[in-house]
Formats: sequence, C-alpha cells, structure tokens
Amino acid sequence: MSNRVKKIYFDPYLFFSIFLLATLGLFFLYSASNADLSIVLKQAAYVFIGFVLMISVSQADPDLFRRTSFLFILFSIFLLGVTFVFGPEINGAQRWVRIGSFSFQSSELLKLALPIFLANYLFDKKLPIQPKEILITVLIISLAFVLVARQPDLGTGLIVALSGLFVLFLSGLSWSFIGGAFVVLVISSPLIWNMLLQPFQQQRIATLFDPGSDPFGAGWNIIQSKIAIGSGGIFGKGFGEGSQTQLNFLPETKTDFIFSVIGEEFGFLGVILLLSIYFFILMRCLYLALSARDRFCRLVIGGLTLTFAANLIINLSMVVGLLPVVGMPLPFISKGGSSLISLFLAFGIIISMGTHKKFLPQ
Amino acid sequence: MIFEERQVEKNNFSSRAIFLFVIVGISFLAVIIQVFALQVSSYSSYELAALNNKNYAIPIQPLRGEIFDRNGYAIVRNEPTFDLITQPNLITQPELFLELIKPVIYLSELEEEEYLKKFKEKAFVNKELVLKKNLTAEEIARFNVRSFNFENVFIDKRHRRVSDYPKIFSHVLGYTSRLNNQHDLSMDIPRSHWADAELTYANGLIQGKTGLEETYNQHLLGTHGTRVYEINSRGRLVKTLEYQPPERGLDLHTHLDIKAQISAANALGDRKGAVVAIDLNTGGINVLYSAPNYSINKLSNGVSVEEFDSLVQDPDKPFFNRALQGRYPPASTIKPAIGMFGLTNNLVSWMDEIDDPGFFRLPETGRIYRGWKKGGHNNVNLNKALMVSSNTYFFKLAYQSDMTDLASYFSLFGFGNKVCRDCFDEDKVFLPSPEWKNKTFNTPWFTGDTVNIGVGQGYLVATPMQLANYISIVANKGGALSPSIANVDHEAADLYQNNRISLSSGDWNNMHDALTAVIESDSGTARSIRYLKDFKVAGKSGTAELVSLDSKEAYLEVRDTELLRDHSIIIAFGPMPNPKYAVSVVIENGESGGAVAGPVAIEVLKSLLNEQ
Repeated sequence: MSNRVKKIYFDPYLFFSIFLLATLGLFFLYSASNADLSIVLKQAAYVFIGFVLMISVSQADPDLFRRTSFLFILFSIFLLGVTFVFGPEINGAQRWVRIGSFSFQSSELLKLALPIFLANYLFDKKLPIQPKEILITVLIISLAFVLVARQPDLGTGLIVALSGLFVLFLSGLSWSFIGGAFVVLVISSPLIWNMLLQPFQQQRIATLFDPGSDPFGAGWNIIQSKIAIGSGGIFGKGFGEGSQTQLNFLPETKTDFIFSVIGEEFGFLGVILLLSIYFFILMRCLYLALSARDRFCRLVIGGLTLTFAANLIINLSMVVGLLPVVGMPLPFISKGGSSLISLFLAFGIIISMGTHKKFLPQ
Repeated sequence: MIFEERQVEKNNFSSRAIFLFVIVGISFLAVIIQVFALQVSSYSSYELAALNNKNYAIPIQPLRGEIFDRNGYAIVRNEPTFDLITQPNLITQPELFLELIKPVIYLSELEEEEYLKKFKEKAFVNKELVLKKNLTAEEIARFNVRSFNFENVFIDKRHRRVSDYPKIFSHVLGYTSRLNNQHDLSMDIPRSHWADAELTYANGLIQGKTGLEETYNQHLLGTHGTRVYEINSRGRLVKTLEYQPPERGLDLHTHLDIKAQISAANALGDRKGAVVAIDLNTGGINVLYSAPNYSINKLSNGVSVEEFDSLVQDPDKPFFNRALQGRYPPASTIKPAIGMFGLTNNLVSWMDEIDDPGFFRLPETGRIYRGWKKGGHNNVNLNKALMVSSNTYFFKLAYQSDMTDLASYFSLFGFGNKVCRDCFDEDKVFLPSPEWKNKTFNTPWFTGDTVNIGVGQGYLVATPMQLANYISIVANKGGALSPSIANVDHEAADLYQNNRISLSSGDWNNMHDALTAVIESDSGTARSIRYLKDFKVAGKSGTAELVSLDSKEAYLEVRDTELLRDHSIIIAFGPMPNPKYAVSVVIENGESGGAVAGPVAIEVLKSLLNEQ
C-alpha cells in the first residue's frame, strides 16, 4: 500500500514532448503577438499551472475518473448552463464563465467529461454493442453537441461530438451501423446545409472552394494565411521577420492562425519539426492506449487522443486551406488559458490511464 | 472465459484504434503535402503576394493646369490656401470635436452646419474634410500651439480652383467637381488606394465637370505622383519605400479675351442673352458669354445643397448656356443666307427689283404675310431688301425656293450642326425640312412654312454659336475656320465639314456692301448704332417673334408679358472693309434687334479691336 502511494505516475516521452511543444509555443506566441511580452508571460503562467495539473491528475487512479464520471459530466453541463444564463456575450456568442477575473470556456470541460462518461457507460458492454446502447450513446452525444453548438460554437460542438463518437467507435460499434449512418449523413447533407448552417457558415464553406470570390470578406483569412505560409518558403523569413504576421495581414495570429505564423517565419523545415513533435505525441498515446490495463482506460485514452488529433488536424487543415474556417486553436501553442488547461488535464488523464497498471488477479 | 472475451475486445479495440490513427496519419500527410505545395511549389507567387500586401502605393494629386486668355492673363488659376483639415474616419463625435476646436479657430454657424452635414455624407474618394479654408496667420499660430490636443487635425497647404471672373466665364470655363466615378481613376494604382490619395486640392480629387474644364480635362489634369509605403493590414503607414512626384497638368491657352468678355457682360447688363465673338483669322472664339450665370468659384470649391438647388430651380436658368444651347429664331439675320441661296440658284440677281407693298400674299391660299413696315418699301432689289430688311422680298424669294435645297444650303453655314470644335455640350439643333416636319409632327410641309423661313421665323431656330459661325463665314466670304475656344492644335474637325459657299467675288463684295449699309447708311435698319464707333461695321439685325401676330396692335397687347416679348438679335462683323471679328448677340425679350442687341455687338467689337 505504502509502496503505491510513493510511486510517481509519469510518462517521460509525453512530458518532454509536451514541454518542448509548449515552450516553442511561447516563442511563437511572442512573435505572433508582435512581441507582446505580457501575453507571453500570461500564457507561460497557464503552461506552468497546466503542468502542475497534468502531473497531479496523472497520479489519480483511473477508477477515480470512472467513478466520478457522472459527476464530472453533470458539472460540465452545469457550467454550460451557467454560461448560458450568466455568461458575457462576446462577439455574439456566450462561451465563457467568469469567476472573478478568471474566465473559462465552459465547453472545454465537456470535451473531457463526455468521452470519460461514455467510456464508463460502454466499457463493460458485450460486443457488438446493442442498438439500445447505441441509441443512448448517440442521444447523449447529440445533447452535448446541441448544448455547445447553441452558444453558438459549431467548431467546439463538432469536437465534442467527435470525442463521443470516437469512444463509441472504439468500443466496438458495428461496421454495418457505421455504414448506414454514413449513408444517412450524405443523404441529409443538403438538409443540414439549409436548415442547420448559418449563412456565415455556408459562406465559409463556399469560400474554401473559391477564396478569390470574396477576397476582402470571408476569403480574406484563408488568402492571407496561405500567403503567409507560402511566402515562408523552405527556411522561413526568420523569427519576428514575417511581414504577413508583423504587419497584421494575417488575422488571429495569436490564436487560430498561429500555425501560419510558424509557417511564415520558420518555413517548411519548421513546419516539419513541429508536426513531428505532434506525431510523436500521437504515437506515444496510441502505444499507451494499446497497452492500457483495461477496456475503460483504452477507451478513454483512445477517445481523448483522437479528440486531440481531430482538434489538431482541423486547425492545420483550416489554416492551409483544406477545410473551411472554424474557430479551433492549435493545441499547446495557440493563446488561450481554457484550451491549455483542458489539454493538460486531458494528458494528465491519459498518463494516469496509461501508467496505472493493474495486475490480473491470480 | 473472461480472459478470452477481454482478448477479443482488446483485438477489436486495437484494430479500430489503428484504423483511426491511420486516418490521422493520412490527414497529417495531406497537410504536409499542402504545406509543401504552398511553401515549395508555389513559393514565388506567394512571396510576391506577400510583397504586394505590404507595399501600398498611394497617388499624389497633381495640380491642374491653369487656363489663360489670348493675352496671357489667367482666367482660372490654382490658389494656394492654408486649410484646417480633419479626417472624419478618425473623429467619433464631430459635435464634441467642434466644441473643442472652436476656441482655436473662428467658425461661423454656417461653417459648423456645413461641416456636420458633410461629415455625414463625406465622399468616398475624399478621406479628408476641410473644416476651415483660408486660415488667417493668427489662426494658424493659435492652432500650432494647441495642435497636440487635436491628433487627427492638421493644417496643410491646399489649392482652390479660382477664377478672378467667376461669373462671366462660368459657362465657357465650366467648373470642377469631386470625382464621383471611380472608373475615371488611373489604373496603375488600385482603385481602393485612391481613397488615401495625398491631396493637393481642398476639394479632394477633382475633375472637370463642364465647360473647358471638362473638354480639356485630360490636358489640364496632369499626372499623379506615387508614394509607396510599407503598411500593415490596418493601412497604417510604416515607412516610405518609394516616391515619385506628381506632374502638373498643362496650361490651356485659349482665344478668349477677358476684356472683350467683360465688355460683353457689361453691355448685356442684367438682361438674359448670349454673345459669341469669333476671330476671323484663326476661328478662335474670343467671347462666349451667356447670361444669367453663376459663380464657378463656388461650384468648384463646395457649394451648399440649398444654393445649388436654388440655381437649378431659378426660372432664369443660370446653368443654361444660352450661347451654345439657346434655340432662337434667327429672324431677319437669316436674310443674307436666303439672298445668297437665291443668287446661287439664279432665282434672283442683284438687279432684279420687286414691289414691296408691305405684305406678301401666298398665291395658293391668299394668306397674307406682313412686313415690319406698313406700306412697305416700294421697289426693292436684294441690296435694298437687306438694308431695309424687306420681309416681302424674302417671303417671295423663299416662296420660290425648294425647302429641301434651302435646308441643305443652310447646313453649309453650320445650321443643324455642331460648329464649335471644343465647346461643352453644344446643341446642334436641327434643320427644318419637309422630311423633318413629317417625322417630327407627322404633318406635311406647307409652302407657307417655307415662306416663314424666308424671314427666319417658323421652324428655323439656331444657337448664338451657330449664328456667329454663320456670320463669320459670310465675313470671310465663304472661307471660314471651324471655331474653337482653345489655342491648341486641333485634329481635323469631324463634327462639321466646312464647305465653301460658291459665290462670285462680285457677289461677295455686294453682300458685304449691303450688310455694311444695314448699319452705315441713312436708311439701314441698324443705323442707330452707326455713331457708337469710329470704324465701319457690317451686319444684320433681327427681331425674333415668339408669337405669330398679324398686327402691331396685337403685339402691343402681348408685350405686357415680358417673356413673350420679341428677342433682339444682331450678327455683325468689322472693321469694314477688312473684317477681323464676327459677333452674334441675342438678347431675350429685348425687342427691336438693331437698337438693343446692336450696341452690345459694337462694344464687343470695339473691345476686341482695342478701340475703347
């Protein structure tokens, strides 16, 4: 017993790669914010708190997360509700909870709570998963999606939904069901386009296919981002030397489009280095998932990791012009405390699930 | 059992996790390929795009050329002023701003109102708004001390387009206005950048709107300079990378004569009408005057909406250029042309005499066409008919003429054509003919219509410009130059073929003698102006009837209404026998041609000949 308490649950691979990423992120942020040190210091504080949280959380036994998963998701939904009632409206959306001077994007927690909750619900179900369980799962996912998308925050809503769907898929959803759902989705896509998407969202999708159609409106962000990345060339323009970034042609340099800053100032080589770190983190997480001690841990690691990957890929695809513009930060690098804290929490949980081994009862 | 199931589940999880991670890997690959395409394959085009982003070229407005009269005096010039300039896009509360600036700069209530009004309707191409023009030295000093309080306000040298004769030249010079059509902007700088142009004029980017300012806009405009800035995306200028100064527009030298224009204006006084004078050697237009008129200084430098509306709605129509667009019956001034038509077509000779009982009876209908003098002029030949302006003679001559032939003969004098090479918006009017009447009124041409045209009434109308052109052709004995205002090399005139009138030199001499007798003989109709000058003048006066009346008594009733009174017209040239200038004068509702329009023509001729 005493032996277990003393053991520190720690994954050096994830720890050092995330440390590298977050540290590089501070440098990038310095350039992206036009050398605004106060922004960088604030971000650094979040990174520090994040590491503390990550290490703390990873000490907890996976069973603790499993047992409290219901409370966790209730708390997350409660926060969303608080946001909905009391949250300040910023740019026409209510996404933040404010406690004193500290504000938090409430949907971030749901990205963690939902996969854990679903993993808890599904880990002991027999294969293949039964229609009733699928129905319940899909209903919960839909509820979560609607809650977030109504803020309105379609991007995060999609990520939350994906986080649940990953767990559902990993837990053994039958392929025929997936195929059927896919067909339904394709058939109903015109309906989704017309009924669910706001005109500005339709515009963003249309812009993806022809950014030149509205170069100073919806296409501006994509065009400027591509110019920033493209003009970086192989070696980049150098730290703090990107004209697109420094002269503010690039929008949202500190948040969604920080990858374009990296592309402009550090070129193709910088991009490859950055993507290698991400890829290494993903591979390490896959390894942890495959070697986790039980099905619950596997599902949680898989769900959280794939959510992280989806987040990353959506951001990258967006800034290089492969996907429509959706608000989505670059993990560990974009400015933003909520996103950082929730990422560190996610990796704290992943490390906990991946490092706590339970020996089979003899 | 439990272990087996766990193994199956584990395998199931593994294969699905790996499946998803493969998708993640493929997505990574897609991103890398796209980044490669952007950064390596298309590097050069994106590098260029980034350069174009940060380099921002703005135009520098050039000074327009000035306009000079034939003696080298400026008619329109650029007047430098020191103006207090604001940038409305940087001022959030204009009312508050005015309160703050008022202790520094004196502002009248009107100026405040104007500013607030324009603040709201600031034109696209004019990012600046002048708060106060023509600052005094004191105001400049006061502002400079406090300028730190007003970040977005500055004093700068701006120009105004100014004429020292703003009213009398209004129609011929025209005015400039703010450029309102982006398509007129030079394309070497993106259109949107023109909003940031460095301005030279207080009124912003300007273009010629009417008159010479419009006709010679390209000539006067100059070439804009360029300043290339490095900018950030908010358009904030970081530093100048390149500077190319603007090139001032070319000056425009004209045939206009300020002195003669002034004398035309003075002689016309506050009557409505027009004066056109042409240099017979060059075809240059020395006088082009229309009254009433308006101040081009006001129109070029910002006129209030109310003031502009009141000009537009003025019943006297000050914007209407009577010299180029006024359609007046030429009345008796057409008689020389009718006479020449008769000579050319052998309908009459200088010898032929007819009896003028004071009227002409149309054989077909018996309708009576009266002359101006009861009892007539007894025996008249062409010379006397012109001198005493016998209507009967020309009724009869017209009666003998074919209208289609007559109309084409008129066209040789420029009637029904634009005659001026560089006039703004000249009316070409029309030529009456059977075909024209059928098309316009859907009624046939009657012989009586031709008879009326014999005395310049009925369907025949002409502009003062056309009348001046006509009389200059007569003065030059058939060989005349197309009139033009500007003294520049004109390309071959395409609007009006200047045909020679085929008349023997004997006929021309007789014609000049007859027209000289109109003024210089004891029985000429315009003899009242004979002693107003020391040189001889030839001409023909006319009284254009606005209503057709059978008796003098009837006219005396009509005359109570000023606007129905006859127009007074004269066309003249001199000095005889070697004329240098031709002139036409129309005075609306002036009545009796020779006595009213005549003195105006004489004043203009005297001024042009420096005989004042």
